[in-house]
Amino acid sequence: MTAPRFARNEDGLVNPITPAGSPRTVWQRFGWLGWVVVLGLAFAFPYLVDRPRFWLPNIGVRSLWLGIIAMSLVFLNRYVGLLSLAQVTIAGVSAYGVGYVMVTLDQPAVAAIPVGILAGTIAGFLVALIAARTKAIYFLMITLALGQVFYSYASQAIEVTNARRGLAPIARTEPFNDISNFYWAVLVVAVICYLLCRYVAASSFGLALQGIRDSPERMQALGYKVNRYRVAAITFAAFIASIGGVVLVFDRAQVDPDVVSLASTLDVLVVAVIGGIGSLGGVFIGAIILTLLDNFAQDFTDRYMTLTGIVFILVLLFAPAGIAGIGKQVKRVIDRRRKTTVDDAESPQQEPAAEQPTDEAITKGKQR
Amino acid sequence: MMLKKTKGLVPILALGATVLLAATACSPTSGGGDSGGGDDTIKIGVMATSEGNLAFGMGEAKAAIGVAMEALGGTIDGGEIGGKKVEIIYAGTDGTSGSAQTQVKKLVENDGVDIVFGPVSGDEGEAVVQYALTVPEVTFVNGSASPVGMTLEGATNFFRFHGDSAMWMGGLGAYAHDEKGYKKIYLIAEDYSFPYDNAGGFFSEFCEAGGDVSGSSWVPVGTTDYATIIAQIPADTDAVYVGLGGADAASFLSQAVTNGVNLPLVGGSIAVDTTALSGDANLASAAIGTITGGPVPGAGYDNPNWQPFVDAYVTQPDAFPSPSIFSILYYNSFQSLVLGLEAAKGDLSDNHAALRDALGSLKWDSPTGAISMDENRQAIVDNFLIEVADEGGTLVQKNISEATGVKQGTTVYDRFDGCP
Repeated sequence: MTAPRFARNEDGLVNPITPAGSPRTVWQRFGWLGWVVVLGLAFAFPYLVDRPRFWLPNIGVRSLWLGIIAMSLVFLNRYVGLLSLAQVTIAGVSAYGVGYVMVTLDQPAVAAIPVGILAGTIAGFLVALIAARTKAIYFLMITLALGQVFYSYASQAIEVTNARRGLAPIARTEPFNDISNFYWAVLVVAVICYLLCRYVAASSFGLALQGIRDSPERMQALGYKVNRYRVAAITFAAFIASIGGVVLVFDRAQVDPDVVSLASTLDVLVVAVIGGIGSLGGVFIGAIILTLLDNFAQDFTDRYMTLTGIVFILVLLFAPAGIAGIGKQVKRVIDRRRKTTVDDAESPQQEPAAEQPTDEAITKGKQR
Repeated sequence: MMLKKTKGLVPILALGATVLLAATACSPTSGGGDSGGGDDTIKIGVMATSEGNLAFGMGEAKAAIGVAMEALGGTIDGGEIGGKKVEIIYAGTDGTSGSAQTQVKKLVENDGVDIVFGPVSGDEGEAVVQYALTVPEVTFVNGSASPVGMTLEGATNFFRFHGDSAMWMGGLGAYAHDEKGYKKIYLIAEDYSFPYDNAGGFFSEFCEAGGDVSGSSWVPVGTTDYATIIAQIPADTDAVYVGLGGADAASFLSQAVTNGVNLPLVGGSIAVDTTALSGDANLASAAIGTITGGPVPGAGYDNPNWQPFVDAYVTQPDAFPSPSIFSILYYNSFQSLVLGLEAAKGDLSDNHAALRDALGSLKWDSPTGAISMDENRQAIVDNFLIEVADEGGTLVQKNISEATGVKQGTTVYDRFDGCP
C-alpha cells in the first residue's frame, strides 16, 4: 500500500505537493470563502428575488438541471477528452423513465426516480459500448446520431413515450410541490453531483482517465484497458446526466420529444461552451446566462435567438475557455506583468509553461 | 505552482459574474413587473410563435389584435376596454412545449399578467393548459392551439373561442368519399398533436363513409425532403391527404410538382392557406382541385361581418394579402375576450368571476359566423369546406359549403396507420 503523494488543484489535476514553507497566495487562503459566498447566495436565492415563483423555476431550477447535464458533458471533455452530444439524450431517457413509471404505471415518485436514473445510466453504458472505440469528431458524430435515433423513437413510440404528446402530468409530491423546497433540494443535488465529479476526477480512476486523455498509447503500454476506462467514464457521466434528467422532468412536469431534440442538445452545448468547456463549476454560469437570455432577450429585441448566437460568438472569440476561464486569462496577464517586476528566485520550481499543454488540450478540443 | 495560485479565482469570478448578471437582468423587468397588481390596468400577455416554421404566427397575432384594438381606438400595445386601461405584452415562442412553458411562466409570474392570450401550436397549447390548472387566478384565452383534449382537462379558467382541429374537418370526409369519389387516400402529416386530431377528424368520417387509408407517413415538423415519401405512395391511391403546414406544406407542394405527382390533394386545415398558395405559379397550380376544411372561409362567403374584417386586416403592417388561419382565430378569440371584458366592465375581482361568466356565456356574430360556448368553455362554431379552383387564371379558394353550429366531439386522436 503506497499512499499517493498528490495534491489536487480545483480541477482535479494533480500537482506534486508544494514544498513545506512555500508562501500561500491570498486565493489559496481565502478561496474557500468564495465558495461559501457563492453557495450562500445560491441558497438564499429564493429570498433575494422579488418574484420567486418566476425566478425559481425559470432561472434557478432550469439553470441547475441544464448545469448538471452540461457538467456531465464537461466531465467527459475535460477528463476523458471526449465531446459527447448524447448527454441530453441520456437525461431524456432518464426523464422518460420517470415519466413512464409515474404516468403509465401510476407509481409514486420514490419508485420512479431510481428507475429513471438507472434507465439513463444503462442508456449511457450502451452508448459507451458503441462509441467508446471512436474518438474526436467520430465520437461526436456517433453520439449525435444516437441522440437523433432516440429522438425519432421518442417521437413515434406511442406505447412507451406517447409520441409527440409525451407523458404528463408528472407532479412533484410533498414537500417538493413548494417551489422553494424543490429549488433547495435540486441545489443540494447539484452540489453533490459537482463534488462527486471532482472526487472521481481526483481518484486513481480519474487520474488514469486523464492519462488516457493525454496519451492512450502510453497508458495501454502501461497495462491499462483503455476502452474499459472510457466505457466506465461515459457511464459515470451518464449517471450524472440522468440525475439532471430527473430534475428536468419534475421541473417541466411533463416529458415530450422536445426534451431530447437537437435544439435541447445544442442548448446544453452552448451552456458548456459559454460556462467553460473545461470547468465543472463554470457550466452553472453558462446555464444562468442561457436561461436569462431565454427569458429576457425578448425585452430587447425580436430576434432573441440571434442575440443568444451573438453572445455565444463573443464568448468564443474573447474567452475561448468560457466565462469560468476568464479568471485564468486575467491571472495569466497579471502573472506575466508581475514576472517582469518581481524576481523569479522566489520559487525556482515554478514553471507556468508546464500547465499550458493540458489547458490548451481542453479548450482547443485536443482529443485522442 | 502556477495552478495552485489560481485556486479560488474561479469561484470569485463566478460570484462576480452572477451578481453582475443578476443586477443587469433584474433592472429591465423590475419596472414593468411592479405595475402588475395595479387595480386600474388590465394586463394581457400574448403568446405567439416568433421562431421556427410557424414564425409568422407573431405577425398574424399582432395583425389580429391590431384590428380588434384599433376598432376601440387603441393599438396593439393596449388601449381601453370596458372602461379599464389595458396593456398588452407579447412573448415569442418557437412552437415547442418547452418554450411555451418558459414564456407562459414569465408572463404570469414575472410580468404579472391577468389574462394569458395564446398560444399558436398544439404542443404549446397542451403545455399551457397543464400550467393553467396550477394558476386558477389567471384567465386563459386560447389563441389558435387546437388539440381536442385541451378543453377536456377540467381547467375552468381556460376558454377556447374556435373549433378544435377535429371539428375543422367536419363534413369533409363524407364529401371526399361521396362527392369526389375517393376510395383510398394516402396520409402525409406532421407528427404532432394538431395533425393527429385534424387527420383523425377527416379519416374517421371518410372511413365511416366507406373509404380507406392506403398508407401513412408521419414526418417530423420541419421536414424538407419529401421525395422518398412521394415514391412510397401506392399506385391505387385516389388522393393524398396533406396534413402539413407553413414551410413544410410549401416544400411538399414544390416536390410534388417536380416529381410529377398528379393525384388530387386533400389538405389539412393549415396546408392550403394563403401562406402556401402565395408562392410561385407552379406551386399554385399543383394545389388546384385540393379540397380542405377549416375555420377559414373561401371566396364567395357572404357573411356581412367578413369583408369589414378583411379590409381592416390588410391595413395592418406585414399583413398577408388575405387573413391566414392564425389571424382569423386570433381575431375571433381576442374579440371574444374584448366582448367578455366589456360585459364584465373590466371587473377582475373575485378571481375574474364576472369576466369568466361573461366569457362562458358569450354569443356573438364573428366574421366567420356565430360563436357560442358549450359547458366545457369550448366554442360552437361554423366550419367551412373549401376547394381550390382556377378562375380565369387566378387561383381562388372557393367555399363549397358551410357546416353551422359544429360542436366538439370527445375523441382525442393519436397517430394512426389505418382507419382511426
